Amino acid sequence: MDNIVLLVVLPLLAAFLMPVVARSSEVLARTLGLSVLFISIAIILNVWNQSGQIDSQAVSIAIGGFLPPLGINFYVDQISLFFALAVPVMVLLFWPWNRSTSIREYSLMMLLTASASGLILSGDLFNIYVFYELLAIASYSLVAIQGRAAAVAASFRYLLMGSVGSVMMLLGIAIIYTQTGTLNLAHLSLLAPEKLNNILGLGSFALILTGMGVKAELFPVNSWVPEVYGSVSSNLAALMAGLLSKLAVIVIVRLLILLFPQPEALQLMAVLGIMGVITGELVAWRAKDFVRMLSFSSIGQLGLVFLAFSIPGEMGMMAGIAIVLHHMVVKPALFMLATGWRGSLENLSGVARRSPFAVLLFIVLILSLLGIPPLPGFWAKYLLMVGLSSQDGSIYTLGMFIVPVAMIIEIAYLFRLVMIMYRKEGDEAAVNNPDIKVAPQSHSKWGLAIAASVAAMLIAIVLQLQPASDKLVSLASQLSDRNQYISTVFPQIHTVRMQSIK
Amino acid sequence: MTVLDDLLLFTALASVAIIALRRFASISKFSVVVYALATVLLIKMSALGYGGEPVYSSFTVNVLGQILQWRFDALSWFFALITLVSALLAAFFMSGAWGEKYCKEHSKEAYGLLQVALILNVLSMLVLLASGDLLSLFIGWELVSWASFMMMALNPDKLARKAAIKYIVYAMAGAMAFLMAIAMTYNMTGSLDYVQVMQGMAHLSNSQIALLVSLYVMGFGIKMGVIPFHLWQAAAYAETPGAGAVFMGAISARMGLYALLVVIVQIIGLTRVAAIEIPYTFLDMQNVLAWVGALTTIIPTYIALKQNDARHLLAWHGVGQGGYMLLGVMISDSIGTAGGIMHVFNHATYQAALFMTVTAVIYRTGTSNFSKLGGLVTQMPLTFMVMVVSIIGLAGIPPMNGFVSKWLIYRALLLDGQPLLFVAAVIGTLGTILSVYKLVHNTFLGQLRLEHQEVREAPLSMLIPMLGLAIIIFATGVMPGVVLDWVAAAQIAVGIAPVEHNLGGIELVQGGLDMIWVTGIMFYGFAVGAIIFYVLGGKSKHIHQYDNYAGGHFLTSKVRYHYSNHFYAGLMHMIGGWYRNVFIKLEHALVSLVSFMSQFSENFYRSSQPVMLVAVVVVLALYFVLGSSGGAEVSAGVSLGGFNQ
Repeated sequence: MDNIVLLVVLPLLAAFLMPVVARSSEVLARTLGLSVLFISIAIILNVWNQSGQIDSQAVSIAIGGFLPPLGINFYVDQISLFFALAVPVMVLLFWPWNRSTSIREYSLMMLLTASASGLILSGDLFNIYVFYELLAIASYSLVAIQGRAAAVAASFRYLLMGSVGSVMMLLGIAIIYTQTGTLNLAHLSLLAPEKLNNILGLGSFALILTGMGVKAELFPVNSWVPEVYGSVSSNLAALMAGLLSKLAVIVIVRLLILLFPQPEALQLMAVLGIMGVITGELVAWRAKDFVRMLSFSSIGQLGLVFLAFSIPGEMGMMAGIAIVLHHMVVKPALFMLATGWRGSLENLSGVARRSPFAVLLFIVLILSLLGIPPLPGFWAKYLLMVGLSSQDGSIYTLGMFIVPVAMIIEIAYLFRLVMIMYRKEGDEAAVNNPDIKVAPQSHSKWGLAIAASVAAMLIAIVLQLQPASDKLVSLASQLSDRNQYISTVFPQIHTVRMQSIK
Repeated sequence: MTVLDDLLLFTALASVAIIALRRFASISKFSVVVYALATVLLIKMSALGYGGEPVYSSFTVNVLGQILQWRFDALSWFFALITLVSALLAAFFMSGAWGEKYCKEHSKEAYGLLQVALILNVLSMLVLLASGDLLSLFIGWELVSWASFMMMALNPDKLARKAAIKYIVYAMAGAMAFLMAIAMTYNMTGSLDYVQVMQGMAHLSNSQIALLVSLYVMGFGIKMGVIPFHLWQAAAYAETPGAGAVFMGAISARMGLYALLVVIVQIIGLTRVAAIEIPYTFLDMQNVLAWVGALTTIIPTYIALKQNDARHLLAWHGVGQGGYMLLGVMISDSIGTAGGIMHVFNHATYQAALFMTVTAVIYRTGTSNFSKLGGLVTQMPLTFMVMVVSIIGLAGIPPMNGFVSKWLIYRALLLDGQPLLFVAAVIGTLGTILSVYKLVHNTFLGQLRLEHQEVREAPLSMLIPMLGLAIIIFATGVMPGVVLDWVAAAQIAVGIAPVEHNLGGIELVQGGLDMIWVTGIMFYGFAVGAIIFYVLGGKSKHIHQYDNYAGGHFLTSKVRYHYSNHFYAGLMHMIGGWYRNVFIKLEHALVSLVSFMSQFSENFYRSSQPVMLVAVVVVLALYFVLGSSGGAEVSAGVSLGGFNQ
């Protein structure tokens, strides 16, 4: 169990060792990264196998034997373990294989892995901030290293937004610290009902939300998204849209559950979520190229996520997790398909005849994204709608009307694209039209394989609905269980409390 | 394994088989056998049609605390019968010459896809009809929507593609309204199981019921194409490849009515709907829905009158006839609902037959454009006969089956004391008669065009289902009791008193209907007329097709004459001003609104001041949370005092 720490330590070491090793042996340096990822995956699978009880009981790991609240700790429950597994797996899947990648990029990827794992596992606010910053730096650099001028410009914009956001987040953390004198999440959670249940607590939440929201593609601070995704390689876009945004969301949700019980916090998230959904889908409706369309659709989906998590109670939690997990697999698969379909949408005219399999995959993925039953996306949307309608607040009612409208817009633009793909005269038009210079690139086998396995996974979930829904319920109940978090980190407090209640 | 399991499993396996075998030439024969076997399985459940106990599927899914289950009751059985028989006939229709031509014109692959689309439509409809709770109803609903979309999208024409996109956007809007309604139902009644929801509905207030009913009706109404959601349907169905249009015209649009019967009539109950008063008017919600039905009979029918393409004319009629069904169901007494439900069957028979005749004409002549047709009666007499039988049914004239269901609806309207609705229904029928005459006149009457002189009768594989349908139309017209048995069982299933009927029609104290008598007297009259003309009358003269005249001018046979352009000019002069394209303009306005808002949002994402943006956001976010929690300030002061413990 304790070797969970290696998930952060090994990639971090590798990140800094790689350039050094590369001087003596290029091959060794290149394999170093991959082997670290494999080791990480092995460690997590091992932990999962060893301690089957993680489903019911989370584990807190005190680093270096110093117990919290003074020492720092990693908190391992189902969801954090799942994301800790997702990090190396997805980094591995979207590893920049094909190009003659510089060793620096590998090094940055390792930094990304280390910080992402740390972010999701950390049990205290300060480490969350540190890992978040590391993650941010790694991603700015990864965007900039792509080399294209557009990527550098996008990266700069991203950097500006991200760093202002980080400052805001730091400010929020500072307020929390002055209020409570601790940064350990479990400790904070104990103190929160009396110390953070006030205007300053709310203020710090707003600051943290906007700060982390930059990564999580939260509505107003997400204007970097289309440019960045449009200018980086599909692999990196898939990683950022699929994984990094979700990590930020999960951390925000964890903070929300543990520290901020105020309804205003939820309302703020709901409002921003609604705005994200509607603006994202509206702009995607106008998008003229595929990657841009996907980016805005991603903004819309993240809006749904925030809206879902803003619903108090288990239903909202389940809906949120379902949308997060669903989007986490579907969006990268779509980005992988985008490798073959860059450029204007008109380029895709008649593409279904050249690559029928890719188009078929695309249709399955977007059907699930739209929430067409019985595909998994539907159940997520169903939970969201039931959750929204169970609430009385006018914001939730508004959300209940906005979400369907957004879905209608989404179906309009996605199926307009499908129709373009199935156009009959496509090939002739492509030949005759002088505007279309670039012949559509073909998909890499790897990208297609990823998309195909995601589609297969979606169908497998449909066939296994019952266990999948049970798993979702248990994930949601564990994530929303404040007392479990506290009692896991401080077993003694829990018993004292229980006694005092008796 | 129950029979329902067998049926669903069989259809599912058949879909897989057809998908796998779609490139083989024998696929058309295979699919006919599949539908025939499925129909046999359905007939095994025919006890349902005579008031038998519902058949449950042994397959259930437990997901998110909700048990999905499937079952067949009399209503499902009735709709499933129409579905499978129309699929069987459509498959037969396309199995022979039509299919070969389709392969030649498009490709073998395209023909295989048409078969796949048909079986998927049938499968999804059976799943929908079998649904035993609201969630499985929704799943079936969406499956049907997408299967229809697949069928429509098979036509590669630009117009057809546009219609398909329009359809799927409308369908999604409907599905979303439906999903919202389901979510609300779940929260209001705590369940999605039919029985528990029904019990839960009793405790809801009128305003809650009103909200639910409007959402459900919007969801179902979009599928039915009722006013104001009627714009998508006609183009989408008309542009579907011939045999597909036969099937879709017959039954696809009726799924909305099925869901409406289950949810509004059976679960919520029309008495609850009638209890909702619309403020500032003398109407209640049931009246409003009845008026929606009445307007749906009128407006699309008169739009049909203006069509210049046989397929579009028929498809618009399909929309209009849906209005009769809604109107009938909304009268809510046993006669009216019987008329509404029976009309589904009758409409399916003649609509399928009509689409078949038009497809046969297209098969022989290559067009369904009225300006390029005419005089085909001499070349395709059997097709002509089928069309005449069907339009008599469509217009609601005895002795065909359409008369019976329309009579029931009229009768119920009169008994219920709804003269205005009655007048509206009559206006709708008038439009129907005018436009079906236009259909038959412009296709088959007048002088034959020069280029059609080589045209022959439709091939046998197409004639057999057409003639079969014509016989059904006549037989169920003379003996409506056969269908009324099933209708009565369906009425019991949705909780309405069954209509009193016998083989010839219905029994009613205020004056029933016996079609056997009506037909007998009609044919007696015909016989008398024939005797007068042929036996007692003098010599008769056979007039050649080219010897008819127009405007007092005899035209020589060198100039072929057929009056089809600007048909009903006089009538259009009177009512032309009423066509204002209001709904089309409304639709355009909505699209413009979305476009405008989209531009507006795009400007935001283009803003070039990221830092300012974040700053503004932070200020606004702080303002939002702090401003909305006014009461918390006191406690903030306190906790500032307790600084850093």
